[in-house]
Order: sequence, then structure tokens, then C-alpha cells
Amino acid sequence: MATRLNRAKWNEAAMGYLFTLPWLFIFFTFIVFSIGYAFYLSFTKYNLLSPPEVWGLEGYRRVLSDELFMTKALPNTFKYTLIVVPLQTFISLVLAFAMDQKLRLRRVFRTIFYLPSVTSSVVISLIFVWLFAPQGVINQIFRLSVNWLDNVNTAFYVIMGMNIFTTSGTLMLIFLSGLQDIPTSLYEAAEIDGADKMQSFLYVTIPMLRPVIFFVVTVGVIGCFQVFDQIFVMTAGGPLDSTTTLTYLIYKWAFRDTTIKMGQAAAAAVILSLIILGVTLLQRRVIEGSGSSTA
Amino acid sequence: MNRVFAFLSVLLIAAFALSACAPQAQPTPEKIVETVVVRETQVVEVPKEVQVEKTVEVEKEQTVVRLSGWASSPSETALLESLLYRFSVENPDILVKYEPITGDYKQALLTSIAAGTEPDVYYMDIFWWQELAKNDVLQPLDDLMASSGVKKEDFIPALIDAFTYEGVVYGIPKDFNTLGLFYNKDMFDAAGLEYPTDDWTWDELTIAAEALSDPANNVFGFGVPADPGRFPVFVFQNGGNIMNADFTDTELDSEAAIGAAQFYTDLRAFQIGALPSDLGEGWQGTLFGKGQLAMVYEGGWLIPYLREQFPNTKYGVVMPPAGPGGEGNLIFTVAWGISKNSKNPEAAWRVVDFLTNEASQKTVLESGFALPSRTALKDSDYLKNNPNSAAIFNGSFNGARPFFWGAVGSDVNDQMGKAIERIFKEGQAVADSMKQAAEAVRKALADQ
Repeated sequence: MATRLNRAKWNEAAMGYLFTLPWLFIFFTFIVFSIGYAFYLSFTKYNLLSPPEVWGLEGYRRVLSDELFMTKALPNTFKYTLIVVPLQTFISLVLAFAMDQKLRLRRVFRTIFYLPSVTSSVVISLIFVWLFAPQGVINQIFRLSVNWLDNVNTAFYVIMGMNIFTTSGTLMLIFLSGLQDIPTSLYEAAEIDGADKMQSFLYVTIPMLRPVIFFVVTVGVIGCFQVFDQIFVMTAGGPLDSTTTLTYLIYKWAFRDTTIKMGQAAAAAVILSLIILGVTLLQRRVIEGSGSSTA
Repeated sequence: MNRVFAFLSVLLIAAFALSACAPQAQPTPEKIVETVVVRETQVVEVPKEVQVEKTVEVEKEQTVVRLSGWASSPSETALLESLLYRFSVENPDILVKYEPITGDYKQALLTSIAAGTEPDVYYMDIFWWQELAKNDVLQPLDDLMASSGVKKEDFIPALIDAFTYEGVVYGIPKDFNTLGLFYNKDMFDAAGLEYPTDDWTWDELTIAAEALSDPANNVFGFGVPADPGRFPVFVFQNGGNIMNADFTDTELDSEAAIGAAQFYTDLRAFQIGALPSDLGEGWQGTLFGKGQLAMVYEGGWLIPYLREQFPNTKYGVVMPPAGPGGEGNLIFTVAWGISKNSKNPEAAWRVVDFLTNEASQKTVLESGFALPSRTALKDSDYLKNNPNSAAIFNGSFNGARPFFWGAVGSDVNDQMGKAIERIFKEGQAVADSMKQAAEAVRKALADQ
């Protein structure tokens, strides 16, 4: 009896592994192996043409003493994250809240808000390049003559604005599903207790959404730290490095330089992932620590 | 409701369709197009009739040679394909597979070399090819050249020397470009000025630029892009250089370079020159075509562009005006190299030899896309009848230096561009900006 049960269990487990095998294969080849190899490369000098040469922490030392990394890429990346994440979280929350009401045509609005998220980021970037061109739509409408993407004071903010515009739709959907999970009984109870709309939003909706907020902020932070394609298409890190972020610098070292610095780029990538890990842990503590522990 | 959705999806499709019609990247060699798309391999096949004649030996033992390059324009690709077709007719024992790469060519090539899957024959840009030679991934060509009687002297010295590393030839220059002073004839006529000549100097350039400028109407005399592919010409003309002779130090903070930067940036400060972005374009060639810039330094690639996009713009080309230090110009060139891993270097060489022989180069020249690297074509009828192309061709004999700054070339380019941009956009003092650039280049050199 016992053996038969065990066999059934074993069979079930074997089937489970069998079904996950294709995915596991892809996971190990393209993710685990790639990350491991990048980690190895971060301790080497490698120009793609000759075999990698181990040189210990020299790559890390060069990254941390690189002026572009320390004075431009790092501060720019943090600035980008600090501006984009709160704004996109707030805007998508407001949108989700609006879409959760019984508005006319709300499905149409939902589709409209979500559209930018399903469009290729390269296409959106090109559209923004045209909108913000010196003779582009924005300047025509507001009768300005600002060269938005070629100005050190504006280029980065245009990219930030575009990213908020594209990601808010996806985040809105996530919030929306979170909102619909909140039981109506809670709102009814709040209403009986005499809470108005604003109070029930602040004291019922927000606390109940905490896990969703954590998720949205985490995804947002990771996305912001890794921002690349928009910058690649719109400004290539310019003007005067004002839009150079960590990922763009990593790309530049890995592929653009005359002498390829693959090892140094890998070291910077490891540093970037450590930063993301640190920030995520920190924010988990902040969001969880300030209230319920449902996350 | 469904109707609304149908309408929205139509909108969405329209958005995608429109975005697909994005204007093509301009034909300037420094412009890097974004996505890497390896086009479907096109096999240039021997036509049926030829195969019938030689069936026995052809069908079994065809040697495959893979050939790759970037595809800068459809017409240029078509030209190469027609040459390869001609080759396949004459050499039925070799099957050439043409695998063009659109997009970031260097990135695609280097990763394929790292993976050991690189093509047998490929383009090498003068700007970075030495990295390939240094890391020993190229086939030395001297013996192969001797085997078919090709001599170094057959090619323009500046070009073949540029593809020689430690005395060994690694690349056969396929064509080249230099910079010429393009001037808009109608604008000169309207201002009552005489057309530029090859004997012009900086003074005449300044005087003409001033007379041709009309800042109120967004018209300027001369284009001054913060472009490391233009500014060095002024340094050479001022008697300076970008790097020292063995590329171990930079001369960007020399008096000659600072003086050149002063002259270059003053043109914009006095509103007789403009950055392309001041006028809302990424490339000054477009502004020249539109008549917003009366004179620009560009290469031969501007000629087919103007013919296609601005057929009504009347223009001429002369060699760049000399500065206080004499003549100066830049040479942009590309060579065919053969991979060291190639299984059939002899077959690969036959392809390279065919593509750079006099007949092929004559075809290229007459198509108007590029200038031939063989000295024998110097006196060709085409150059006699096309003074604009001749000005670009002769530029290579007149104080021209290759567009190459050593192992930290990309850093040098970055720093030069930024030095000019800082002066333009942040009002930094010229000498400080150039010194800052030189320091950054030295740091990159120290980190080699």
C-alpha cells in the first residue's frame, strides 16, 4: 500500500519535472548560465577578439574611478528613478481609481490608456522625437523654439515624461485588478461608520492595496534602473552625457568603444544589480514596516 | 461598443503602419542605425544556362565564401550584388553568400568573431580595423596579393598604408571618401559672390559665410556640427594634429588645436555658422539641400543624396580651404578583410581581388557612390567629366590624413564632440574645454 502511494507520488513529481523541463532548459541556458558567465567576465579583461584574461577586481576599480560613471551615469540613474517611480505610481493609481468607477465608456478609456504599453518602445521613442523636434508639434502648439532633445536642461525630462506615459497604462491595469479584489463589504462598513469618499480611499483602499503598491513600486524601480532603449533611440546618452544612465554606459563600454571593455561593462552590470537588490530590500522594509504585513 | 473597438484597432494598425514609414537614416557614415537586423541570406546563384554547360565540375565542388558588410543604401547593396553576380558567372566553382548587416555592424561583427562564426570576407572601417589586426583575427594578404600579381603600388598610398599593420597588409581598400567644401551656387549668385576655388583660405571662407548669412531667416553661411568627423580638418589646417605620431598621446590641447576650436566655434558665435540642431536637423546635408546652409564640409555621399532628395539644388564642390598651417582633410575608407578562420582563404582572396580589380572599381566609380582606391583610375573620363567627384578624389592627395585615432579612437571622438558642444552650449572657454578633453583622452590611454 505504502509503496503504491509512493510510486504515485513519485510519478506525479516526475510528470511535474517533465512538464517544466523545456522551461528549465531555457532558464538554465539563457538566464542562469548567462548571469554566471557575466559574473565571471566581470573579473576579466575581455575585448571579444582575444580570450578573456582574469584580472581580479581591476574592472571594478576602473568602474568606480570612472568619471562618467560616478558623475553622470550613477546620479542620472538615481534622479531618473526618483522622479519617474513616484509619478508613474501616483498617476496609474489615480487612473485605476477613475477606471474603477462606473464611468460611461470606461472600457474605451481603459483601452486608450493601455495602448502606449503595448506599442514598441522604439516606436514611441521615435514618435516623441518627432513631437519634440525643433519644428515639432509641441513647439508649434505652444509657439516655443526649444530644442528639447538637444538641450542639457530638457532632454532627460522629455525621456522621463515619455516613460511615465508608456508605463502608466500597465501599472493602471495592475492597480485595477488590486482594486477589484477589495471586498465591497469593507466600503459598506466604512460608509456605516460615516466615512466619506476621501476617507474610505485613504483608510480602506490604500491599506488594502499595499501589496499591490509594493509590487508596482518594485517593478517600477527595477525598470527605471534598467532604462535603455528610449535613451538609445532618442539621445544616445547626449547632449553632454545629460541622459547617460548606467545601462547606456554599460552598452557603450561593451559595444561602442574602439577597444571593447566587456569585462569592465560586466563589472558595472554586477554593481547595477547589487544596487537594484539593495534598493528593493530597503523599499520592502519601508513599505512593509509602515503598516500591515500582508506583502 | 464593438464598433468602438473596431475603430480603435484600426487606429492602432494605422499607428503601426505609419511608424513603419519612418524616414530612412541619412546616408552619413557616422550615423549609426538602431536595430540590428541580419537580412535573409541571399545566395547569388549561377544562372541555369551556365550550369548546364559545366554541370560535371560545378555541381559538386563549389567552395562557399561568406561575405558581409553593412548595407548603407538599397542602391549600393544592389551594386554589390551585381558585382557578385558577375563574379559568380566568371567563377562557377565559388559560391558567394552575401550576408549584409543593417544596423550596428561593428557590434554584430565582433560578437560573431567572438563566437567563431564570422564571415570569410567582411568590411573593415578604418576607424577600428586595427583592433582586429592587433588581436590576430585577420588573414595576412601579402602572399595572396603576390599570387595574383596585385601590388601595393596599385592603390592610393594613403589608403593601402592605412590598412597595413606592422608592415603586413590586412585589408584591400574598396573605396574611400574625403571632405569637400560643398557650396550652393544659387545662394552665391544671389549674394553676388564669386564661387569658391581650390585656392581658398579661411579668410575667404569667413568673408563668404558672413555675406551669405541671414540669421533672422535661419540661413547661415557655414555648417559647424559638433562632429569629430569634421572638426579635425580645421586642426590639420591650423598645423596641428589630433594624436601624436604613434598614438600614445593626444594633441587636443596644443595651441594649433585650441586655435582651430576657436576659429570653428567663433563662426557660430558671430552668427555666420550654425549647428544642424540649431536649425532642427540632425545632419547638415539636409540643411544644405534646403538652402539653409550655404556651405558645408561633407563627403562624396552627399552627391547621390542631393541628386535623390534635392535635385533642384545647384551646387559645386571644391577642396577644403587652407588654413594658416596649410591644407588639411580627412580620409574615410573601408577595406575588405579576410578572416583568419576562413577555411578557404584562396577562394576568399579571389572574391576580394575581383571586387577591387580595375573593372569592378570602374563600375563603382561610375555609379557615383564612392571613389575607387586604385591610382589607375585617377585619369578616368568619369572624374574628368564630374568635377565634384574629382574634388573629393583629389582631396586624398592634399594634406589628408586617415580618420583614425588609435586604440582609444571612440574616446577621442567622444571628447572632441563634447569639447565643441561644451563651448557651444555651456559657454565654456575654448582652451579649458580642449584641455578637459585632452585630459579625458589621456586617462583613457592610461587605462589601456
